[in-house]
Amino acid sequence: MAIEIRRAAVIGAGTMGSGIAAQLANAGIPVLLLDVVPPGATDRSALAAGALTRMRTQHPAPFMSAEAMALVTPGNVEDDLEALHEVDWIIEAVFEDPAVKAPLYRRLDAARRPGSIITSNTSTIPLNALIAGQSEAFCADFAITHFFNPPRYMRLLELVSGPQTRPAVTEALHAVGDACLGKGVVVCKDTPGFIANRIGTFFMYCAMHEALKHGLSIEEADAVCGKPMGLPKTGIFGLTDLVGLDLMPHIMTSFHATLPAGDAFLTLPTTFAPMEKLIAAGNTGRKSKGGGFTRLVPDAKGGRTKEVVDLQTGDYRAERAPQLASLAAAKGRNALQTLVSFDDRGGRFAAAVLAQSLSYAASLVPTIADRVSAVDQAMRLGYGWAFGPFELIDQLGADHLAALLTTHGIAVPALVAMNRPFYRVHDGVLQELLPSGEYAAVPRPSGVLSLADVKRKGKPVMKNVSASVWDIGDGVLCLEFTSKMNTIDPEIMSMIRQIITTVGDGSGAYTALVICNDGDNFSVGANLGLALFTINIAAWDAVEQSVADGQQTYAALQHAPFPVVGAPAGMALGGGTELLLHCDAVQAAAESYMGLVEVGVGIVPGWGGCKEMLLRHVAPVQSDPAKAMAAAGHVFQTIAMAKTSTSAADARALGYLRNTDGITMNRDRLLADAKAKALSLVPGYTPPGPRTVVLSGARGKSMLMAGVLAMAAAGKVTPHDEVVAGHLASVLTGDETDGTTPLDEQALLDLERTHFMQLAHTSGSLARIEHMLATGKPLRN
Amino acid sequence: MPTYKAPLDDMKFVLNDVIDYSRLTSLPGYADFDVDTAMSVLEGAAQFCEEVLHPINQNGDAEGCHIDHGAVTTPSGFKSAYQKYVESGWPALSADEAFGGQGFPQTLRFAVEEMICASNLSFGMFPGLSHGAYHALLMHGADDLKATWLPKLVTGEWSGTMCLTEAQCGTDLGLLTTKAEPRSDGSHAITGNKIFISAGDHDLTDNIVHLVLARLPDAPSGIKGISLFIVPKFLLHADGTPGAANGVRCVSIEHKMGIKASPTCVLAFEHSVGWLVGETNKGMRGMFTMMNAARLAVGMQGLGLSEVAYQNAVSYAKDRLQGRSLTGVKNPSGPADPLIVHPDVRRSLMTIRAFNEGARALSLWVGTHIDMHEKHPDPAVRKDADDFVALMTPIVKAYFTDMGFECTNMALQIYGGHGYIREYGMEQFVRDARIAQIYEGANGIQALDLVGRKLPAEGGRLLRFFFHPLSERLQRTVQDPQLKEFAEPLAKSFARLQQATQFIVMKAMSNPDEAGAASTDYLRMFGLVALGDMWLRMAEVSLAKLPTATGDRSFHDAKIKTARFFMTKMLPEVHGLFARIMAGAGPVMALEAEGF
Repeated sequence: MAIEIRRAAVIGAGTMGSGIAAQLANAGIPVLLLDVVPPGATDRSALAAGALTRMRTQHPAPFMSAEAMALVTPGNVEDDLEALHEVDWIIEAVFEDPAVKAPLYRRLDAARRPGSIITSNTSTIPLNALIAGQSEAFCADFAITHFFNPPRYMRLLELVSGPQTRPAVTEALHAVGDACLGKGVVVCKDTPGFIANRIGTFFMYCAMHEALKHGLSIEEADAVCGKPMGLPKTGIFGLTDLVGLDLMPHIMTSFHATLPAGDAFLTLPTTFAPMEKLIAAGNTGRKSKGGGFTRLVPDAKGGRTKEVVDLQTGDYRAERAPQLASLAAAKGRNALQTLVSFDDRGGRFAAAVLAQSLSYAASLVPTIADRVSAVDQAMRLGYGWAFGPFELIDQLGADHLAALLTTHGIAVPALVAMNRPFYRVHDGVLQELLPSGEYAAVPRPSGVLSLADVKRKGKPVMKNVSASVWDIGDGVLCLEFTSKMNTIDPEIMSMIRQIITTVGDGSGAYTALVICNDGDNFSVGANLGLALFTINIAAWDAVEQSVADGQQTYAALQHAPFPVVGAPAGMALGGGTELLLHCDAVQAAAESYMGLVEVGVGIVPGWGGCKEMLLRHVAPVQSDPAKAMAAAGHVFQTIAMAKTSTSAADARALGYLRNTDGITMNRDRLLADAKAKALSLVPGYTPPGPRTVVLSGARGKSMLMAGVLAMAAAGKVTPHDEVVAGHLASVLTGDETDGTTPLDEQALLDLERTHFMQLAHTSGSLARIEHMLATGKPLRN
Repeated sequence: MPTYKAPLDDMKFVLNDVIDYSRLTSLPGYADFDVDTAMSVLEGAAQFCEEVLHPINQNGDAEGCHIDHGAVTTPSGFKSAYQKYVESGWPALSADEAFGGQGFPQTLRFAVEEMICASNLSFGMFPGLSHGAYHALLMHGADDLKATWLPKLVTGEWSGTMCLTEAQCGTDLGLLTTKAEPRSDGSHAITGNKIFISAGDHDLTDNIVHLVLARLPDAPSGIKGISLFIVPKFLLHADGTPGAANGVRCVSIEHKMGIKASPTCVLAFEHSVGWLVGETNKGMRGMFTMMNAARLAVGMQGLGLSEVAYQNAVSYAKDRLQGRSLTGVKNPSGPADPLIVHPDVRRSLMTIRAFNEGARALSLWVGTHIDMHEKHPDPAVRKDADDFVALMTPIVKAYFTDMGFECTNMALQIYGGHGYIREYGMEQFVRDARIAQIYEGANGIQALDLVGRKLPAEGGRLLRFFFHPLSERLQRTVQDPQLKEFAEPLAKSFARLQQATQFIVMKAMSNPDEAGAASTDYLRMFGLVALGDMWLRMAEVSLAKLPTATGDRSFHDAKIKTARFFMTKMLPEVHGLFARIMAGAGPVMALEAEGF
C-alpha cells in the first residue's frame, strides 16, 4: 500500500530546514519544525519560533499564504520528540556533520512511528555514510531528499535511495515531491554532490578561473555565460555572492575529500585569489554588509549604484556594460558555435569553459545518473540554466565539441565520441540517447500532460501570429498564446472568437477549452506598445474599438455554450487576469501572480475586469448596503493599489480566484489538471445567465474617494494617482446611477470603456504607459 | 531678368496670427524680440536680399567659380556682397550671445533663410554651412575650442564647412577612411580626401573652419568608429589671427547642374592639424546636430526658390498676351488675353502659391518649436518640442525640396519657350532647386528616416505632437458651419494618414521592405496633411478677420480662396498616395534584379 504523507516534521530550523517546512505547509501538510534548545533560553523552541518570525517578512516569501504559515508548529528536539510519532515523514536538515547527524538519527529512530519515512537534506554526505551504524528499519525507511535554496522557488528535488531503502519509500517521496511539493524529482545515484552541485560547482570554479586567465571582467564573464550559454542573469559571480563566498572553500574541501582519484574536478585549482582576498576582508557576499564580487553603494542621486570587483586588481569599480565582439556575434542559429570559434577574449573563455564543463558532465553519465535527461533536468531546475549540458552539446554539435576537446588536450568522453545527438524527435516523441547508444523516450512522470509533447505530435487546429489552438485529447482544446511575453493583442482576440465558432454548441468534435501555455508567464496583459501607438496617432476610434472588442470577446467566451478553464502560471496581469476572471473555472499553478495592475499605466481595467470583480464581490451582498459598500471598497483598494498576488493562494485572498478554483503545486501538472477540470464541467454544462449588480452611485464614490484624499493629504498618493482613482471609483460605484437600479453587464462595460477613454486622453496616463514600456516599472506621477 | 520682393506681409501674418509667435517672448532671453522687433529685422533682411543678393544671382550663375593653383575665386560681386552681409551683422542674428551673437529667436532665422535662398541660393550656401559648423561646435565642442573658433564664425569673418563625403562613401558614412592620428600635444593629424565639400575653398573670408569626419587608429569599423575634428584652413598665430597653411588643399571644383556660384570642392587633407570635437568615436552625434539643422535649412531652399519662381511666373502670366479665354474675351483692348485667364495656367499658379504660403507657415511653426526646445524652462516641454522638430525635419527637408523642384518647373512652363532661355532666369531656379532634393541626405533617405526611425521611436511618441493637436482642431472645426468646408476634407485625409501610419508600422514589424516601399509616398502624404493643418488655421484666421478687414481685405480674401484651392485641388492627392501605400511592397519587389 502506498505510504501517504499527512503530517511531516523538519529537524533543523536553519535556512533550508525552515524553507522546506514552509513549502510542506504551502502544500497543505502540517509540519513540526524542531531545533535544539539554545543554552539558557526561556523559550525552549526559540530557534524554530525565530525562524518562523523571520520567514514572515522574508523576500522572496517562503510562505504562499497566511493559512500555510499557521500549519507550521515550532518545537524543539528535547521536548517534542514524542510528537514525531504522529508524522509520516521526518526531514533532517541539520549541520553537515556525520558526527552530529548519527546520534540524532538514533534518537529520531527511537521516537518515530515504525514505517514512517526519514530523509536527509544533505548536499555533501553520501547516503552510505549516513546510514552507517543505524538500525535495519531505519535504513529501509531512509533516503536523501536534497532541496535547493530557496525551497519554495527552486524546482529541483534530488532523490537518492540506498540499496536498503524500501521501494515504497522511494515511490512515496517521488509522489509527494512531485505532486504535493511541486518539484521536478530527479533520481540520483549515491555519489558526491549528486548531480546539480557536482556539475554546477565545477562550472563555477572553472568559469571564475578562466575569466581571470583570459582577462575578462566579471560583467564580461557573466554576459558570455548568460544569453549564449543560457545561465541565469545572476551570473557566475552573482551566484557566488548569493551562496556566500566563505562557503565556497568548504564546498571545495568536501568535494576533494569525497571525489574519486582521477576526477577532473580535482585538477581545478582549489583556491581563487580574488575570492580569498574578499573573504579575508570580510566581504563574503550578499549576506555581508561589504558585499562580495558585486556591491551596491549609495550614489549622488540618492539611489544605489552597482560596483564590481576588478578581478585583476581586486578593487571595486563602477559596473561597466560588457563590450565584446564575440558577444555581439553570438546570435541566431549557431550562436554557441560562433561564440567558441570567435577569436577574442570572450570566445577563448567560452571555449575553455565549455570544453571542460561539458566534457566533465558527459564523463559522469551513467555514474551519477542513468540518463542524460536527468542531468539536464537537474541543471535546469536546480541552477536555472536554460539548457542542460547535453542540450548545450547538441547546440554545439558533438563533433564540434570533440574537436574543441582535442585542441584543449582533454580526453573525449565515450558519450561525446558516439557523435550522435543527445535528443531527437522520433514519430513525434522526444527521445534521448542512452549510454548504450540506443534511443529511448525521455521519461515523463505519469499523469503529466505536456503541451510541448502535444506540439511535437502534430499541427495546431488553428493558428495565427499571436496564438495557436491545440487538440489535447478527449474533445478539449488548448489555447496557447505565442505573442511576445504573451501579451494580448487583436490577433488573440480574433482567435478566441474563432474558437467560439469552431466549438459551437459543444456537440461537435470539441466540448471544452483550456487556456494555458508553457511560457514563464501566462500573460503580462494587453499589448501596451500597440495601444500607445494608436493613442499617439490620435486614432481614438480605433482605441475605443480595441477596448470594445476585448469586452465583447471576453463576454462572448464567458457566455459560450461550453466550459472554459483558465490555467495560469507565473504572471497573469491586467488583460491576462481579466481573461481568467471570465473563465468558468481556473486551475492555477501555485506560483501564479495575478493582478489588475492597469492603474500602474494610468488606466482602469477595460476588458470586463471591473465588471467581473463587481459581479463577483458586490452583487452577492447587495441586499445589505453596508456589506455591499465594504465589498466595493475591497475591490476598489485591490484595483487602485494594483495589488498583485504573491501566489495562487494569495490570489484567492485578493478575490481574483474563487474558492472553487483549483491550485496545482507542480507546474508540469497544470495542463492535465486544467483539462480534468474542464472535462468535469462538460456534463450538463450551462453558461452563466445575464447578471446585474446594484451600485451605490455618487454617495459611494465620495466614500471611496475620502480614503484617497486622506492618503493624498498624507502625501502617499501622487496627483495622477488621484485622477486615476477618481475614474476607477466612478466605474466601481456606477457613476450617475441612482443607487437602486440594477446595472446589467453592458452598462458596466460601458462605464469601463468611457472612463478608460477619458484617462487615455490625459498626458499623465500617457507618461505612465511610456515609462512602463521604457523601463518596465510604473511611473509615480 | 527676374525680380524678387520678399513676402513680408505673409510672414507677418504667419507670425502674428497663425503660429502665435508672441508666446516666444515669454521664453528666457526673448523678452525683447516681440513681433515689431522681429518685423524690423525681417524688413532689413528683405532689403538686403532684394538689393544686394538678388542682383548678383544671375551673373553668379553665368560666371561660376574658378580655381587657380588651389585657390578658388567666387563670381564678381560676391566678395563685396559678403562683406556687406558681415558688416550688417546678419551671420550673428540668432547666434548665442555668449559668443557675440545677437540671440534672436531661431524662428526668425527660418524667415531670413527663405529670403536669402529666394534671392541667391549659391550665396546662401556660405553662411548656411558656417551656421552648421557653428552649431555643431556650440553643442559638442570643448570650451577652449569654442572660445577660439566660435566668435569669428559668429561674425562671419570666418566661414565653415562640413566634410563628410568621400569618393567611396556618400549616404553610407560607415565606409569612410580619412585618418586621424594622435599627436603628442593632444591634437590630431588628419589625412584623407573629401569630395562634394560646399564652400570648401573661396575668397570671401580670411579663414575656413572645416568640420571633418575621420577615423582614429584603434577605432571600430563602421559608423561607430567615426570621430569629428575641427580642421582650419590656416592655423592661428598666438594673437588669434590666421597664420600658416594647415595642409588643406583644394584639388578641384565640380562642374555642376546648378548653384554654380557655390564652389563644390575636392579637398585633400595632408597631416592637417585637427582637434577632436565631442567624444572619441561619437562623431556622428556632432554630425547629426549639424545635419538636422542643415536639413531644415535645405527645406527652406525649396520654399525660397518656389517663391521667387512664383513671383516671376505671376507677372509673366499677367503681362504676356496669348490666346483668348475659353469663356469669352477678357482683354478686348488687346490682341489677346493675358495668360492668367487660362484655367491650366491658374492651376499651376495656385498650386505654387498654396504650397508657398502653407510651407512658410509650417516652417515658422517648426521654428517656434526649436526655440521652445532651446529656451523653455520646463524640460518636459523642451522634450516635446524637440520630438516635434525631429518628426518634422525629414518632412520639411524632402517635401519642401520635392515641391521646390516641381514648383519652379511649373513656373518655368508658364513662360513657354522663354522659360527655357537663360536670360529669363527661370531655368536657373529649376537647376538650383534640383540639388536640394539630393544633398543633406537624399530625399529617399529622409523618407526612410521618417518611417524607420521617427515613426516607431518610443512607441510613436514623436507623432503625438502632430496628431493630437490636429485631431483636436479637426474635432472643433468640423462642427463650425464656416470652417466645415475646410475641415471635412482635411479630416478625411487625416484619417488616411492615421491608417497608413498604423499600416506601415504593423507591416514593417514582419517585413522592413514594407516600410521602405511605402516611405516616399508616406512622407508626401504627411507633408500634404501638415500643409492642410496650416491652411485650416489660416482659413480660420482670415475668415474671422474678413468681416472687419479694411486695408488687408484682399489679403484675407485671397487666403480663404487659396485655402479652398488647397483643400479641394491639392489635398486629395492623399487618397492616391494612400491607395499606393496600401498596395504594399509586393509590386515593388516582385521583379527579380536580373529582370531589370
